[in-house]
Amino acid sequence: MSFLEDSQNSAPGSLQNNKLSGARKGAETGQNAAKRLQTELMQLMTSPAPGVSAFPSADGNLLTWRATIEGPDDTPYQGLTLKLGFEFPANYPYAPPTVLFRTPIYHPNVDFSGRICLDILKDKWTAAYNIQTVLLSLQSLLGEPNNASPLNGEAAELWDKDPALFKIKVADRHKDIDDE
Amino acid sequence: MAAALVSGWKDRRRRVFQSVFQTDFSQPTPHSTPSLGFPDQGQAFGGPLAAATVAAAATRGGRLDYHDYLQHRDGTAAPSSGPFTPRQQTTPRAGNAGAVQAAQQGRNLFGESIFQQAADQLPSAHSPTPTASFGSQSTIRAPSLPTHAQPLFPSLATAGDDQVAFDRAWHVVTARIALPASATADDSFGSLAPEPQYASQGQSSDADFYEALTLVVQADTLLPRATHTDDILAWHTQQVRSHFAQHVLPMLLACVDHDVDDSAAADKGAAQRNRAKGTRRGGRYHERHMLVVMSSIRTLEAALRLYRYGLELIIRGFHRVDKARASADAHSQVTRFRRDIHALVGNSVSAELMRSLRIVLAHLAGQTLGIPPEDDREQGARPAPPTEDDLWAMAARQQLHELVGQLDDVGLAGERFQVLFAEIMDSVMSDFIRGAYAGVWTESDARLFTFVGDTISRAGNPAAASSFCIASLSDWVENHFARLSFEVLSRIAPDATSPVTLSDVKTYQSLALARLAALRTGELFDIVLAWPSARGALDDLRATITTAPRRLQLTGKFIRALQKRLLHPGCSTLQILRTYIAIIRTFHSLDHSKVLLGHVEPCLQLYLCQRDDAIRLVVTGLLASPEEIRAARKANDAAVKQGRKMEVENDAFTTPAKDPVKAAPSTTTRQGDSSARDVSATKLVELGVLLNDASQTRRTAPEVDEDLDWDDMKWMPDPVDAGANYKRPKSEDVIGTLISALGSEDVFIKEFASIVAERLLGEPARHDQELRVLDLLKRRFGEGALQDCDVMIRDVQDSRRVDAAIRTMRQLQQFQQRQPRGGVGDGPQYHARVLSRLFWPNLDREHFLLPQPVVDQQKWYEKGYESLKSNRKLTWLNQLGQARVELELEDRTVTADCTTAEATVIYAFQEDGEEAVTKTVDELYMQLQMDEDMIAAALSFWVSKGVLRKQGEVYTVIETLQEEEATTAAAAAAAAATAPEQNTADKGDESAGSPLRPAANKKPAKEREKEAMYWQYIRGMLTNASATMPLGQMAMMMKMLIPEGFPWSNEELQDFLAEKVKEGLMEIVGGKYKLKK
Repeated sequence: MSFLEDSQNSAPGSLQNNKLSGARKGAETGQNAAKRLQTELMQLMTSPAPGVSAFPSADGNLLTWRATIEGPDDTPYQGLTLKLGFEFPANYPYAPPTVLFRTPIYHPNVDFSGRICLDILKDKWTAAYNIQTVLLSLQSLLGEPNNASPLNGEAAELWDKDPALFKIKVADRHKDIDDE
Repeated sequence: MAAALVSGWKDRRRRVFQSVFQTDFSQPTPHSTPSLGFPDQGQAFGGPLAAATVAAAATRGGRLDYHDYLQHRDGTAAPSSGPFTPRQQTTPRAGNAGAVQAAQQGRNLFGESIFQQAADQLPSAHSPTPTASFGSQSTIRAPSLPTHAQPLFPSLATAGDDQVAFDRAWHVVTARIALPASATADDSFGSLAPEPQYASQGQSSDADFYEALTLVVQADTLLPRATHTDDILAWHTQQVRSHFAQHVLPMLLACVDHDVDDSAAADKGAAQRNRAKGTRRGGRYHERHMLVVMSSIRTLEAALRLYRYGLELIIRGFHRVDKARASADAHSQVTRFRRDIHALVGNSVSAELMRSLRIVLAHLAGQTLGIPPEDDREQGARPAPPTEDDLWAMAARQQLHELVGQLDDVGLAGERFQVLFAEIMDSVMSDFIRGAYAGVWTESDARLFTFVGDTISRAGNPAAASSFCIASLSDWVENHFARLSFEVLSRIAPDATSPVTLSDVKTYQSLALARLAALRTGELFDIVLAWPSARGALDDLRATITTAPRRLQLTGKFIRALQKRLLHPGCSTLQILRTYIAIIRTFHSLDHSKVLLGHVEPCLQLYLCQRDDAIRLVVTGLLASPEEIRAARKANDAAVKQGRKMEVENDAFTTPAKDPVKAAPSTTTRQGDSSARDVSATKLVELGVLLNDASQTRRTAPEVDEDLDWDDMKWMPDPVDAGANYKRPKSEDVIGTLISALGSEDVFIKEFASIVAERLLGEPARHDQELRVLDLLKRRFGEGALQDCDVMIRDVQDSRRVDAAIRTMRQLQQFQQRQPRGGVGDGPQYHARVLSRLFWPNLDREHFLLPQPVVDQQKWYEKGYESLKSNRKLTWLNQLGQARVELELEDRTVTADCTTAEATVIYAFQEDGEEAVTKTVDELYMQLQMDEDMIAAALSFWVSKGVLRKQGEVYTVIETLQEEEATTAAAAAAAAATAPEQNTADKGDESAGSPLRPAANKKPAKEREKEAMYWQYIRGMLTNASATMPLGQMAMMMKMLIPEGFPWSNEELQDFLAEKVKEGLMEIVGGKYKLKK
């Protein structure tokens, strides 16, 4: 099982590189973004990563996605299902998507409206990233928050000082949402 | 050439014959000879008169009217009136004529007896006559010679005197030179030889004779009033003719007749009889004909002696009369007479005599020229040029010379003989060539024959020196054939200057070569089959097939032979291909331009297209292993050696001493030979040999225009019969030619790829041979065409490395984890090959369940592979691969190499229980989920191995061989399954679902893959986009989001979703689908 996971984790990067070179060729925005997203969806479907999934929103707009992250084991979020929303700019993948937690979450790097503080979604974004890598980064962020630049100072403090209270806060904050 | 001569000859013969026989036999004496006017000369005429009446009586049967008419005229007509004078009847000649007519008409006994009687009387009348009638007369030269006829012809008194004188003289002369009429035996001529008679004649009778002869010869001056005179020479000639016709011909016929009955039967029977008696060197058959010829010659000789005697007398008379004139005339007269006689003889020769003569001549000529007689030939004696000291040849030559001399003397050496001789020489040449060179294909080896003298042919014909057969044939023609012709012809016509000229010899040689060419052309198919031992014959052909028509004839004949002997359903494709290779090589050595081959090829190609296994055979031949090639070479060498041993008695010189097999023990050699033969019985190993032959693969790499290569000293113009797009080939290129004959290159390469694939998946040996063949083929077809094969070979090489790496890794792991040895790692040995799906032909997946130990191995292997090559996964092709199975039965252990399917089936029989292991096909089908046909095939494989027994529909393991009713089963299978796999680099990972779906789901693999992907979409959709969705929206989303399109209709999607609902993965809430938590 461990072999399998290894291979899966490293797979997207190499594949994405391939796609990237193809996308750079004709840098027409909009349609290129849609095409790229379609391809990414295909990759997600054919070689899904465990614990994360994403799909365009039900209204058929390819630039709006919904995603789901299963709370990783051995983290306060274990057993929780976190929903996210992706808004892609027209010049995706040359600009990062806007990602929000739609499920209320108690986390040092997420504020109460669900905005996320993650470097790869800001200045560290490159076209080499894709939805899957973003989702996996967020998944790992759940287990290892960046407490140096918190959006939720209390959570950052509690993470180190009182994990048990943190866990309770997480559970309090969490609320499964039902989509429309 | 002979035919034209014969027809011309026949024509001439007819004319000559007419000139000889046109004269009426009833007029042998001059018209003027009085008969009734010599009553007192009864002795002279009386006998004949009596004979005449008898003869007339004899003719009465057939010529009654004529006789009556003559009688009638006798009484009434004037003595000298009309051509049919009655007097003729009364002369002895007339009597003879009657007899001749009688004899000729009926040739009955009666006529013969009469003739005999008349003939007997003649000599008796002959000798006394001159003395009785002229003895008292001192001279007959006096014109006033009294005659008794005078009173009878008063009105013709003076004329009558001369006439009578002439007639008397005529009578004297004719009586003297009259030919004896005897037909008793050929001795009669001898005994009646005129010489003693001539000598015994007194001087007086001689004088009388010459007196009379003078009168007769000079009748126009001495007896000017004799109105009816005649030429004594003409008379004699006529006499001779009639005598010949009357006496000699029957005797000649008798000579032949005597043997005709015999020899007619002998013609057929003689050969057998001769063989039975073992007679040698012209047994009785030829001798009998020799006898016929010799007795005929003797008869003719005697007759001619007789005729010449009369002539001699006349000529002598001429001399007396007028020396000047005679000397001038005599010669021409004699030659004319001779010519006439020879014409007479030559034209009246019977067919039987000619037949005998032909046989005798053929025999002698054959012997002289070194052709053994027929019975010897049947015992295996071959014609060969006679050596200098061949006594038989010398004797035959001597005999032939004598015979020809005699024939010439008696006039049998005329045109007819010459035609006969020409025909015989013609057939002798054919016989010699056919006999001496048919099947003699050895390369130039002059030791067998000794050449006599230096030949002009060598200087004249450069090609002749190149081939042994041609050299020996030219020599034979020159030193034997032409010599004999020369000898015989110069004997026949001694005056002609050199009857056989140098240019004639050349003509003979070219004729002989043409015949040799025809012979070899006919043999060409066998020559091809005998390749390469028949190079000598090819040398012959190359030297003789020089003109376009001959080339055409050669190819035409060869194609016919090909179609008759090779291109029929009875020949295996292997045989055809093998012959084709031989054809290519033979024709190439025959004609480097390949034009001849081009003529022959189409029919072969057309036929080969009908043979499906041709390409496969060629490819497997190309891929023959080095061992097989070596074995084939050895066998080849051995065969060649053997062939040479048989052909050349003295093989010490010809056996190549370089053969290493010699050193090996004889047993191994034999084994090697037999295995080579086995191999060559099923494989076209020659191709493998050729492929490694450097000269074969030489390419015309620098495509310079060769016609502009001024330094090419070997340049030859294109053959005249080359086609428009003719391109000069550089090398033999058997393989290229062969491949081009099998259709297009693409077809060949495709077949090659599939065969290579098969071989690569076969035994896990090293694939050096394939690599080498691939390299060579690349040089021929180019890199691109063979890319697939390249990839396949690289796959196999790579997987060997991967296999080793995975195994080491596994061992390391086990060591690190200190796992007790055993479990999966200790199961069956397992090796896999990783194939690139896109490049391998015919990789269909057959589903069946492998034995659990193998499955464990597969899983373990899969893991190892995926750790080694990230993001790649393996798809197992279970049906491809081999297994070595060891079955431990009660009384024996069976080890077998089999396919994975077979191993799986036998594994199913392994059980620990005490019960007899018994399975039916259906049970196995349920258990293994294997295709029923495969199960059946595997079962029959094990039945043939003696492991299973079929009883009706049930298969049982045979535990003990003796005890058929075995009850316990303990079969242990150790399967070393090699299951190749399909690697797909362009597919991502798959987290869930095994690669193999349950077999109950009978959908094809592709379909299942698609379903799995769609399920992912649906899950993703329902997880993220919306927890519940109606069918329509889902279908619409799918259609929009899947790049390659979503082919399902809503109903299909509904069915699919219903399945998922059934599986408990989904539920329907309010008409909307929802994932079950």
